[in-house]
Amino acid sequence: MISYVLIVIGAVLVNNFVLTRFLGICPFLGVSKKLGTALGMCGAVIFVMTAASAVTWALQHKILNPLGLGYMQTIAFILVIASFVQLVDIAMKKSAPKLHGALGIFLPLITTNCAVMGVAVLNVQLKYSFIKAVVFGFAASLGFALALIIFTGLREKIDRANPPRAFQGVAIALVTAGLLSLAFMGFATLVK
Amino acid sequence: MKATKAKFKFDGGIHPAYHKELARDRAIETMPIPALLRVSMSQHLGAPAKPLVKKGDTVKRGQCIGEAAGFISAAVHAPTSGTIKEVGTAPTAMGTSAAFIAIEPDGEDAWIEGLEGIADWQNADTKALIAKVAAAGIAGMGGAGFPTNVKLSPPPDKPIDTLILNGAECEPYLTADHRLMVEHAEQIWTGCQIVRKVLGAKHVHIAIEDNKPEAIAAMEQAMEGADDDASISILKTEYPQGAEKQQIYATTGREVPSGGLPMDVGCVVENVGTTLAVWDAVVNGKPLTERVTTVTGMPVSEPKNVLGRIGIPYSDLLDFCGGLKADVAKIISGGPMMGLAQPGLDATTTKTTSGLLFLAPQETQTFRSMPCIACGRCVGACPMYLVPAELSQMLEAEDYEAAEELNVLDCIECGCCAFACPAHRPLVQHMKQGKSKVMLKRRQAQKK
Amino acid sequence: MDINNILITSGAIGGVGLTCGTALALAAKFLAVKEDPRVEAMDEILPGANCGGCGFAGCADYAKAVVLDGAAINLCAPGGNEVLELIAEAMGQEASAEEKRVAVVMCAGDSEKAPRKHLYNGVADCTAAAAVAGGDKLCKYGCLGYGSCARVCPSGAIEFKNGVAIVHPDLCISCSACVRACPRNLIKMVPVSKTIHVVCSSKDKGPIVKKACQVGCIGCRMCLKLAGDAFEMEGFLALRNYDIPVENELIVEKCPGKCIVKCGASEAPSPEATEPTPSEPSTEPAEATTEGQT
Repeated sequence: MISYVLIVIGAVLVNNFVLTRFLGICPFLGVSKKLGTALGMCGAVIFVMTAASAVTWALQHKILNPLGLGYMQTIAFILVIASFVQLVDIAMKKSAPKLHGALGIFLPLITTNCAVMGVAVLNVQLKYSFIKAVVFGFAASLGFALALIIFTGLREKIDRANPPRAFQGVAIALVTAGLLSLAFMGFATLVK
Repeated sequence: MKATKAKFKFDGGIHPAYHKELARDRAIETMPIPALLRVSMSQHLGAPAKPLVKKGDTVKRGQCIGEAAGFISAAVHAPTSGTIKEVGTAPTAMGTSAAFIAIEPDGEDAWIEGLEGIADWQNADTKALIAKVAAAGIAGMGGAGFPTNVKLSPPPDKPIDTLILNGAECEPYLTADHRLMVEHAEQIWTGCQIVRKVLGAKHVHIAIEDNKPEAIAAMEQAMEGADDDASISILKTEYPQGAEKQQIYATTGREVPSGGLPMDVGCVVENVGTTLAVWDAVVNGKPLTERVTTVTGMPVSEPKNVLGRIGIPYSDLLDFCGGLKADVAKIISGGPMMGLAQPGLDATTTKTTSGLLFLAPQETQTFRSMPCIACGRCVGACPMYLVPAELSQMLEAEDYEAAEELNVLDCIECGCCAFACPAHRPLVQHMKQGKSKVMLKRRQAQKK
Repeated sequence: MDINNILITSGAIGGVGLTCGTALALAAKFLAVKEDPRVEAMDEILPGANCGGCGFAGCADYAKAVVLDGAAINLCAPGGNEVLELIAEAMGQEASAEEKRVAVVMCAGDSEKAPRKHLYNGVADCTAAAAVAGGDKLCKYGCLGYGSCARVCPSGAIEFKNGVAIVHPDLCISCSACVRACPRNLIKMVPVSKTIHVVCSSKDKGPIVKKACQVGCIGCRMCLKLAGDAFEMEGFLALRNYDIPVENELIVEKCPGKCIVKCGASEAPSPEATEPTPSEPSTEPAEATTEGQT
């Protein structure tokens, strides 16, 4: 049991996907202007990453490994993840058209979101069991959500605070992201 | 009747310099009628009154010259007898333009005939009493100017069990209500009983701040022999004790819900000046044609509490108080916290002009607003549990949705936040603007 | 290298792909959302500036309104004639080309010419300033200069020169956002080729205007005498009638209130714009003083 807890803490805080591993920066900067959209993005990413961990684990261990096709990992994973995202996209268009409109281009972009790919590859590298892989995928997406929500809150405040012209927009956002990343380094020795 | 300390105290609030000593001990003086009176048609909250007279007409004091236009509106009466010089529009103390009627007094000051009071008000019909108040054109004289007859007829599903008489006068400098209580305690108490009867309220609280011991003593004396459900609550001197919602909490411990009205918690708050006007209207049958205004400030030669007709130009009011003895940097209609800065002395008094304040250069400052340093003083000072710092930044960024979510509409514009702000941010102005924008958005949404 | 290896690989990956594809196809069928393809096409045509000049919430909203609710097709000002033609083509309607309109601020009372009556020390916003004792300018119709229009301008076409707003006609995208933002209704949309304007909005009588501003319309009717129907009177204020060209340009010099000016770069040559005039408000850059603290 304790190992699962450690996986969660490790993935959410210590090795936060966005702030420590620097994966998934694109939606992190792109969808962090409004809390509403950010929350929608978090939901989508949590779903995709958790499900993708399960599917890719099965793919790796039930199809690729028995056939000795470990080297096809990247291609096969992208294939699966891409279809998954498309599926979410279609489902969301049907069930939450407003959110779909707000997320815009970023939803299809999860396809190429390195965080999703990263979690699939890491699952294989760390030789996790199926349940551990799913937990890791879920925890990693939670970490992404945490970082995104914190960052969105900060950005909303910064936008109102009227920073100097040269810093406005992405510039101050990147500085903030850097500082946030530094702050998360404080968790480095939480789990050894 | 012995006054007791109020059991509760609202959170937040500030302690400005009060300077009530300037006019506190000056008995109310009646001002002679000036050469011209300009009576505004928009002296109350709600729709402006509709002028009933035209140029050249002769009117008598108390004659209705503007009729209430709509449910939330109040009638306007001629403050003296004379000839109508002009019916036009002019800027008001609010900074907006409104219709006005200029009257040249004929010096006789004759009342219109046929004004009759209801001497036996104890046994009178409630509807007749309310009609009397409506006919007298009474609007809340504390400053907001809400038509009193509307306040006195709450919907049947909101029973009123408590009447609070507001004698806190928490605005610095102003002493008009104080003097009224000292000099007219009997009449105020009678007016209060009339209002109580109309509302069917069981409890009555007279709320007075503890910096007015004379007023408390006068009210105690006037209320000798009153029943047990009536009481005088002494409030701690703190701004804004006189604000409706804060006062309800201080005297009864009830909290008006966000977006709600006092009647939602079974309370009605009336200013002491309003109750006096109610007494005059019901017992003597006289419409509201005069009020007490405190003319004060360091530069004023003789600060006074002036009983003057409605429609007196501010310049005449100042002359009556001996003019100025020093430089003036700022003129405020009302109190320094919630009053309105004036560009000159062109405006005229209305039913809500509680004071005319002159500030010397050393009392005012030109501020340069700095960025918020997130110190939180405004949060501590806000009596409505709002977060002015956050709100003002949202409003500055024109993010009205976010501001609405943080309940900007609950702001009572008391000015505590701006008073407390070390960065001199124009917080109240942001709120005022934000509120009007949010209200506008709501109205547009309703139309759709 | 075994041929089997290749076959197994392509078979396995192909199989995975096939499964995914089937799943997607099924999802697309069962979760399909009906959408008018014309709306999407219309959305593509519109410039995507989301300025709101058409009166709808954004380009997507306008696209929907045009296609589904039959809204007027000539509302997209930033798109100009090109977009209008495209919309007309898509909707099968006749394009009625209209001349581009640009915003002009009908006030020239800058801080030197129009005095202020009191010191305003508050939020630097016109609506806020106008709410305090009716605004700090002596002229109660004049530009307050706190930049409310410039803040809403999506194309940065509004500049402040000496405390009065000036619209650059070349940058203006005709969205009318500034017209709605001005608390004093000073900004008007005028055809871009017309360059002679009455830059005063004061409805006051002559003596009051003279006291309040050096460049105000005093209602002398000189322009009506010199240029005939190109001007008309509304009370004590002369207004330009943009349907009729100004024949006698002498009026620019002769106007006693100095409030008739010729300005702006024009696209189409017209009798009014035969020679380039570097006069009054237009192209020369000046230090923008949006923070109009007095």
